[in-house]
Amino acid sequence: MWYYDKKLEYPINIKKCDPRMAKFIISQYGGPDGELAASLRYLSQRFHMPTKETRAILNDIGTEELAHLEMVGTMVHQLTKGVPADIMEKAGLGDFYTDHDNAVYPISASGVPFTAAYIQSKGDVIADLVEDLAAEQKARATYENLIRLADDPDVKDPLRFLREREVVHFQRFGEALRQVQELMGSKKYY
Amino acid sequence: MDERQKLMEQIMAYDFCMIDLGLFLDTHPADANALNDFRTCYMESEKLRKQFEEKYGPINQRFLPNPRCWQWIDDPWPWAREA
Repeated sequence: MWYYDKKLEYPINIKKCDPRMAKFIISQYGGPDGELAASLRYLSQRFHMPTKETRAILNDIGTEELAHLEMVGTMVHQLTKGVPADIMEKAGLGDFYTDHDNAVYPISASGVPFTAAYIQSKGDVIADLVEDLAAEQKARATYENLIRLADDPDVKDPLRFLREREVVHFQRFGEALRQVQELMGSKKYY
Repeated sequence: MDERQKLMEQIMAYDFCMIDLGLFLDTHPADANALNDFRTCYMESEKLRKQFEEKYGPINQRFLPNPRCWQWIDDPWPWAREA
């Protein structure tokens, strides 16, 4: 289970509204390589991990991804709070505004609503950990694209933090994969 | 940045270190340096959390509430822009 801590993982304080940037960043909320997909992927896969290290790493990275989902939602919220309909429309958010006003809703940058089809939980430990490694690289690449699209340092700074976390998670998943491969190479595993 | 936010960001820094060290320890459970760093961060964070919660109210619902008022619902929530 989880308890809520009334704080973010990393500070976010965006003083200037920018619905154009919100339209891009929302992809890391509900898009194909976003934080919702990441958390659901790892928290679902953890149930069938074979070692104490791999169970822990999936559980704990899955949990951190929920904190990242909150950070991305916070960025979208602060970038669009109080922005009137005509400005939302000029930023390409007229369609979004029609269905969601200034709410935060899990959707990709191109407007596709979140779907569990973005993730897999295969039951095959090697297949799942290799997917997790790829997922971290795809998320890293998305954050790099977002950093290139952003100009406000209040926006770039938390995006850089989130990018860096993808690199760390990739490293930890690599260690988990190596451990499982060594175990499977030994006679005890069948 | 006000005093409350300054203290909160110190807590956030120690708690983040614990998240990162926690992941490292998941795959290196016997690393003495990481364990020692984790212990230091835990103790610093606990100290600052106590200070914060005495002054500004609960960070977590696992907090002995004031018998007359449920402070948990008080603003600010983390997603709010700083005043």
